[in-house]
Amino acid sequence: MIEADRPVSVLRRTWGDEEVFARELERVFKHSWQFLAHDSEIPEPGDYVQRRMGRDRVIVVHSEDGVNRVFLNTCRHRGVPLCRADEGNTSHFRCSYHGWTYANTGVLRGVTYQPDVYGPGGIDKSELELFAPAHVDTFLGMIFATWDQDAVPLREYLGDLTWYLEAIMGKFDDGLEVVGTPVRNIVKANWKTEGENLSGDGYHTMVTHATAVELGLFATPKDLEKLTDVVTPRFTGRTVDCGNGHTIRVQRLPVEIESNQYWGYPEDMWEQFDRNLSPGQQQVMSALSVCHGSVFPNMSFIENFKTNVDGPGLHARYFRITVRYPISATHCEQLWFLLQPRNADPQWRRLSAQAYLRTNGPSGMFEIDDTENFVGISEASVGEIARDKPITYLGGLQNPKTPSEVGWPGDAVDGDKTEKTLRAFHRQWAVMMGENEVVS
Amino acid sequence: MTSNFAPPFAEISQVWASPEEHAAVAAFLAHEAEAIDSRNFAEWLSLVDDEFTYQVPVPRTPDNPFSPHFDSRSMLIDESKWSLESQWFRRLDLDLYELSWAENPPVRFRHFVSNIRVRRTDDPKILDVRSNVMLVGTRQSDAPKFLTGERTDAISVVDDGYRLTRRWVVLDQVVIDFPQLRIML
Repeated sequence: MIEADRPVSVLRRTWGDEEVFARELERVFKHSWQFLAHDSEIPEPGDYVQRRMGRDRVIVVHSEDGVNRVFLNTCRHRGVPLCRADEGNTSHFRCSYHGWTYANTGVLRGVTYQPDVYGPGGIDKSELELFAPAHVDTFLGMIFATWDQDAVPLREYLGDLTWYLEAIMGKFDDGLEVVGTPVRNIVKANWKTEGENLSGDGYHTMVTHATAVELGLFATPKDLEKLTDVVTPRFTGRTVDCGNGHTIRVQRLPVEIESNQYWGYPEDMWEQFDRNLSPGQQQVMSALSVCHGSVFPNMSFIENFKTNVDGPGLHARYFRITVRYPISATHCEQLWFLLQPRNADPQWRRLSAQAYLRTNGPSGMFEIDDTENFVGISEASVGEIARDKPITYLGGLQNPKTPSEVGWPGDAVDGDKTEKTLRAFHRQWAVMMGENEVVS
Repeated sequence: MTSNFAPPFAEISQVWASPEEHAAVAAFLAHEAEAIDSRNFAEWLSLVDDEFTYQVPVPRTPDNPFSPHFDSRSMLIDESKWSLESQWFRRLDLDLYELSWAENPPVRFRHFVSNIRVRRTDDPKILDVRSNVMLVGTRQSDAPKFLTGERTDAISVVDDGYRLTRRWVVLDQVVIDFPQLRIML
């Protein structure tokens, strides 16, 4: 048993060791709920996208009967993938090898040349449905699946994080939709490095992102004085361990305000946020600088207020989900989803997309500087000496607990430059991997 | 915002430019690539229009061979001359570059531009210029990586030569494996 707010140190082999990686595939990816898609990507019957769980390719499909299902992308017969496109629409999946055909509910419907191959009675198709995960469930449009028969239900798994995800994704009258095909790229880093950072590292911002701040993409008193009367000297925030390795960090703009200010969204949307959120959730979303966190193991989310993105005074928030598929100890594939409120003003949506692309998009200034750190961590951790050296997560152990009357769920502390969320991520990881990965 | 993004020309022109014009445009594109590869950003900016936009739609593998292998709803890159000048290039100035971690040391870029096709459009001042591009990027001591794609440029004819007005690039690689994605293709 690892205590709350531990571990404070793990071995560096977590970032680049193939033996550790092989155990992760077995112990973490075969037993965790994993984010696959948003239901707005597959709105119509027959719509599908191809994704991954661990290193397995899966099809996420809106079946003819209206149910979203997930299948291993491989024929029950001899293992050929049924689907080679990233996305599309089909009522049936047909194998290119011998022509076995499956309904998009996973049922084997057609087997070619049955009498010739299997005798007069043919083959028993009822035993040959597509392989499917043990559980598939959806929360706020996000489709997750797990191979673990004994997994707790998705909402229970997400635990205290559900309240925060509702604040972020549940505040829009018409919901969110994924904007187009997600970008996919290879990152030359262990799959955990970016997730660990996004779990809630507020400590790195002013160093890693120094030039982005200098160039005005991160709110400064000068920007805020044009929005409100009272600008205070310091950003404030909280970091929250939501249990099961899920986390969030919330950073609030340094302002004193008397009513909720959802800067970064068109003002005509603000009323719906007040209506759809509880007072505590409004506190998370009002005057938000940034909030981000991770859903264990490999999904992260960020809602971010970015300034001067397409010219002076042009500020916008965006909401992004990323997911990292493990490839090897030192490589992963990252998917990038921009989600925007349905029916929002098109001009604002363009600005919000630019706020995303120019900061935390794949070619954004924040992102490229972050990525260089993540790549470097893996590169510097593969050597025989370095791999057995410790990493240190002592930040913010002294921070005060957030008073319970504030009403934020989870184990929250005041202060957003802590490493509390990193400890929470590694605690869940160590629980699944074995505690000999933990130094202290 | 669906279908907000589109290539520079709705239809491909059937009118080819003269061999002389073709040669001059090819020289312009070589000059432009030289400026960006040598990180001579002031010179590069002098070759583009004030309204210049640069867009790279998200590449994908669609489910039928008649669909384009990109999604015009979502962008990998969506930049303007303003954002390139004040965000991309500005941070490589002497007073900022030390903290521009991903570009210090810089990834070394090398453009290979070929199969240049220059066509006239209804507007005598605008040329439809298509080319194949291979960008090689080398980060630190890593082996080089490369990306290929098709560029469609709108190039304006001005008194002293040409200006790049729009660039739209369709990448071939779907899972992009490149040292860094802040790239001018």
